Amino acid sequence: MTPNAASASAFSGPSRRSFLASTAVATAAVAGGMPLLAACGGSASGKREGATSGKAADKLIPAYVASKIAQPDIPSKNGSAAGYTSKIDLAALAASVPDKLGTGASLKIMSPLWGTPPKPDCAYYKALDAEAGTKITWQNQDGNTYGEKLGAVLASSSIPDMVVVPSWELVGKISSAVTAKFMDLGPYLAGDKVKKYPNLAAIPSDAWRMSIFGGALRGIPMPAAPVPNIVPFYRKDIFDTKGYTVPKSADEFLSWAKEATSAKAKVWACGDMRWSAAGFFGVQPAGPLGWNIGSDGKLTYRIEHPEYLEHLEWVRKLFAAGVVHPDDKANTGDPTQRFTSGQTLVGNSDMSGWYGMTTEQAQSNPDFEVDGMDYFGADGGTPTLYAGQPAGIWSMIRKGASKETVENALAAANFAAAPYGTKERMFVDYGVEGTHYTVKDGVPVKNDRGVQEVNNAWVLLAAPAPYLAHPDFPEIARKQVEWQQRQGAFVKKTSTYGMNIVEPTRYATLSSQFEQLEIDFVRGNKKLSDVQQAISTWKSSGGDKLRDWYKQLLDKNGSGN
Amino acid sequence: MALTAGSRPDGTRPPAAVEEPAAAVVAATAKESVPRRAGKAGKVPFRVRWRRDRALILMTLPVIVLLVIFNYVPLLGNVVAFQDYDPYAAGNGITAIFHSPWVGVEQFSRMVDDPLFWSATKNTIVLFMLQLVLFFPVPIALALVINSVIRPRVRAVAQAIMYLPHFFSWVLVVTVFQQILGGAGIIAQTLEKHGWSGFDLMTDADLFKYLVTAQAVWKDAGWGIIVFLAALSAVSTDLYEAAAMDGAGRWRRMWHVTLPALRPVIALLLVLRVGDALSVGFEQFLLQRWAVGAGASEVLDTYVWNMGIQNGDFSYAAAVGLVKGVIGVCLVLGANKVAHLLGEQGVYQK
Amino acid sequence: MSLNTTLIRSLKAPARPVWEEPPSKAGLTAKGAFLVLCCLGVLGPLWIVIVTSLSPKPVIDRVGGLVVIPQGITFVNYTELLSGGQVSRAIMVSVGVTLFGTLFSMTVSVLAAYGLSRPGTLGHRFFLVTMMATMFFGAGLIPTYLLVQSLGLTDTYLSLILPSAVSVFNILVLRAFFMGISPELTESARIDGASDLRILLTIIMPLSRAVLAVISLFYAVGYWSAWFNASIYLTDQQMMPLQNVLIQLVQKNTEAPAGLQQAVRTGQLSALGLQMAVMVLALIPVAVASPFVQRHFKKGMLTGAIKG
Repeated sequence: MTPNAASASAFSGPSRRSFLASTAVATAAVAGGMPLLAACGGSASGKREGATSGKAADKLIPAYVASKIAQPDIPSKNGSAAGYTSKIDLAALAASVPDKLGTGASLKIMSPLWGTPPKPDCAYYKALDAEAGTKITWQNQDGNTYGEKLGAVLASSSIPDMVVVPSWELVGKISSAVTAKFMDLGPYLAGDKVKKYPNLAAIPSDAWRMSIFGGALRGIPMPAAPVPNIVPFYRKDIFDTKGYTVPKSADEFLSWAKEATSAKAKVWACGDMRWSAAGFFGVQPAGPLGWNIGSDGKLTYRIEHPEYLEHLEWVRKLFAAGVVHPDDKANTGDPTQRFTSGQTLVGNSDMSGWYGMTTEQAQSNPDFEVDGMDYFGADGGTPTLYAGQPAGIWSMIRKGASKETVENALAAANFAAAPYGTKERMFVDYGVEGTHYTVKDGVPVKNDRGVQEVNNAWVLLAAPAPYLAHPDFPEIARKQVEWQQRQGAFVKKTSTYGMNIVEPTRYATLSSQFEQLEIDFVRGNKKLSDVQQAISTWKSSGGDKLRDWYKQLLDKNGSGN
Repeated sequence: MALTAGSRPDGTRPPAAVEEPAAAVVAATAKESVPRRAGKAGKVPFRVRWRRDRALILMTLPVIVLLVIFNYVPLLGNVVAFQDYDPYAAGNGITAIFHSPWVGVEQFSRMVDDPLFWSATKNTIVLFMLQLVLFFPVPIALALVINSVIRPRVRAVAQAIMYLPHFFSWVLVVTVFQQILGGAGIIAQTLEKHGWSGFDLMTDADLFKYLVTAQAVWKDAGWGIIVFLAALSAVSTDLYEAAAMDGAGRWRRMWHVTLPALRPVIALLLVLRVGDALSVGFEQFLLQRWAVGAGASEVLDTYVWNMGIQNGDFSYAAAVGLVKGVIGVCLVLGANKVAHLLGEQGVYQK
Repeated sequence: MSLNTTLIRSLKAPARPVWEEPPSKAGLTAKGAFLVLCCLGVLGPLWIVIVTSLSPKPVIDRVGGLVVIPQGITFVNYTELLSGGQVSRAIMVSVGVTLFGTLFSMTVSVLAAYGLSRPGTLGHRFFLVTMMATMFFGAGLIPTYLLVQSLGLTDTYLSLILPSAVSVFNILVLRAFFMGISPELTESARIDGASDLRILLTIIMPLSRAVLAVISLFYAVGYWSAWFNASIYLTDQQMMPLQNVLIQLVQKNTEAPAGLQQAVRTGQLSALGLQMAVMVLALIPVAVASPFVQRHFKKGMLTGAIKG
């Protein structure tokens, strides 16, 4: 009995991986204490590693045909999502899929699901099948053990027709499994072929480029805006009543934090600010995105820059000054709860927390107001931010699936990728009017059944170009988009942007120790010399060779920025 | 009956080679505890033994069959410890073994060369020792106290309450400890109100080993009494009565009647615990590694998790698992030998 | 059947045997204080958990964590968890799996423990070694999954029972108790021509009620709280046992509203409160089961069963 998501929340702890790991913990405990679980090691078989980009990639990906339906109130700028803030006329929704594309052939889809899955024959699934012309048998798997399930299923000889693959499960050999087990969708989607599926054609090309695995288009992407997804949230209501001004530099932040912290009153300034600090100090992202050719023409990795150590030392100062909540130091409990209760005043979380926390607090604490702090340069100047990858979740179709199966799967994905303001989008997000939701003042509100059945299964198959819309809180959508646009002005792309890179597995564990090291260093459990030592070990034990590998890759493919 | 690594299981031997002492079907001496062992080696022919013991073998078979199917067959998967295994290299995970390159003992030498492995091993051993000294005796003591309570209702209530923490998940145990002992916990807040700040037992790397042992005691010691209570319930009251008649007091009766009755069970559990010495907990450590750092909290199981599972290095995880298993077997053999020397039967008969 | 040395002492627990001296005041006080302290050590945290599970959301939000001092009470977390057909169906699944699983595990374990309780029998050492080796070597998830799949057990309830039906530890404990039973108890029966199965059923098992109860409890608790096998071997969500449903119910993940998620997100329910309610629900079977087990712990119930 493990409600093992006790620490999962809007502030899902300073590491997605760690969060995922902690939730999967009980797994190994159950497996008998010798967790030889499935996360799949692997051989460096030559053709599975590498990346395809540039002109070579352009030949593989679908043509781009923008959607003309429902122009956004705030168009995308600086890489932001598009924002919809005005009410849409629910009675006169456009149809993005004129003809049903599905033929009704049966289709098995495996997808992760967080929460309680609906019945396979529920009204929502039936209604969407009827609308899309598909006949889907859903295998909704628990999102927290999805990695294990995925690893095991891919190793078996019976793979479902369509499988949703989140990027964070692509560790070790699963990345190469994608190439081995899923089919090349090029024959169905490349170039103008995609025009049969208008909503898929409206997915931005960057996201499609990210869907090339092993030299072929194997994924249908959920596009993501390349602007920062991590927001340094602050309690605007408390800042206003206390008369605090939002800090504009690293030093200002520290002195504000000291002023705001009062252990006696059970108030601490912030949680673990490593993610935000990376933005303040201009640290490149982790993973393949961390490689960049600087203005001096040298290819370097994130940990080789002075900013890397600087941002960690600054966070360490916060911990040492006692302005970080002790529970965040110990990484227990629910950081969101501490933020909403006012025990912490600043915390970083992903963008979805903005809406999530606001709706959660709307009834019980009407004064609650959260706002996103603008990233500042550590010295008070303008910040340097780096773009995230333009896609992070894909749906894939197994090798050997029949033509009809593929076409039905694509029909489902096309339906799921319907843009905001269409009939199809309403179906996917809200279900059937009367059955799953009612319209109140022009705003759709889910009923109990809608809450139960309309879940995150269909939405993972594909998604339209990034947009933000909250019919019940349009102000939040506006604030989010405006924040993205302000930050987006400072966003740079690293040389590896938009490339789906599979590193040779012999280097897979090379950088894996750094996250733990960062966690330990900022909390004072490791010394600066330990980090410096790790960096030089990294160089000598493969980092320099990995640099050569990336150099060749970038020479061949061209740079992503 | 020495269970040495080299000895072949006797079931596979021809009758002539049977060195196992066997006995007549019915033991003559009533005091002989194991009648079938009386007599000299090799005297009873295989056929006779088979006829005599086949009922027992039939009874044992279902478990053996289940273990062979669900433990041994997949256990063959551990050959990947000598590979660089890619489960997706072929049609399915089994045929993939034949498509993955063999790398000999490379995974093992990686392990030996990794300082993190050794620090995890050190932490594991220290924690095991602490658990042995500070945890293992607690359930026995608790069982003795509960057993000495006469009123059935008091016993029942006390027992039921003590079982409960076993069913708390580790997440909750850690959260509750944090709420009490943490930097924003009840004690820290009380001290803060009286002008003492900085109390935080949960992030102190030096105290960590005692903290986790305390957590383990809190969670599982109550549950641990249950086997001992079962053993105590089987102690004849005649023995107590006889001892009391001889003038033995409360403590002497505990020493001369109760504890001897518990000895076989204590020895069994101790031997098994020693064999499992390299498993000191997992979730508990993973949950608290941020609080005190990996240096203090990394144990072998979390090491395998981080190096093998998190990084998707199936072969490495298998290699560490194999080493752990071999050490476990050696430890249990050693512990059993010690138990024999002390006159206990341990897990298996000598 | 000569059970002459085996006496069921008394089913009514005696107050204090005549031979036992009255306890000293100090000893009694110390013992009482110790027990009270132990129980408080458990009840304190349990109190926090229960109070939090009963607290309204605004209280939990204001406190920002677990609630120690109750400020208002609501049963909404429990009613939400227990309303709806899914939980009740999952309870049926869990009860069924626990009952049949425990019965199956106990049957094979008792048989094996007895079959191995007499050293020197044919194949004894081989079987013992075969069993014990599994305690130290684990197989990975992929091989196990492939095996379960190729046996056609995925998406059947058997996949929740068979792969984890045997606990070698439990068998060893049973065996140790069986071996402790005086051989003279069984020998006369053997001379009378009783079969091994008959001896097991009529002599050994009645003498081992306490340990049988304990091991049944171990197995039952194992089945009741297991969820990993279900999450890996079952794809049909309708077959999920209670633990999986409860875990899914309380998962709080901002990207993924479902089940009570929506109620949490819209501020009707507190995720923490729900989680604590789940914890309390998980404790109930234990509270229900433990009297049954304790019935078998009567002091001096058996005589001469365990060698001193």
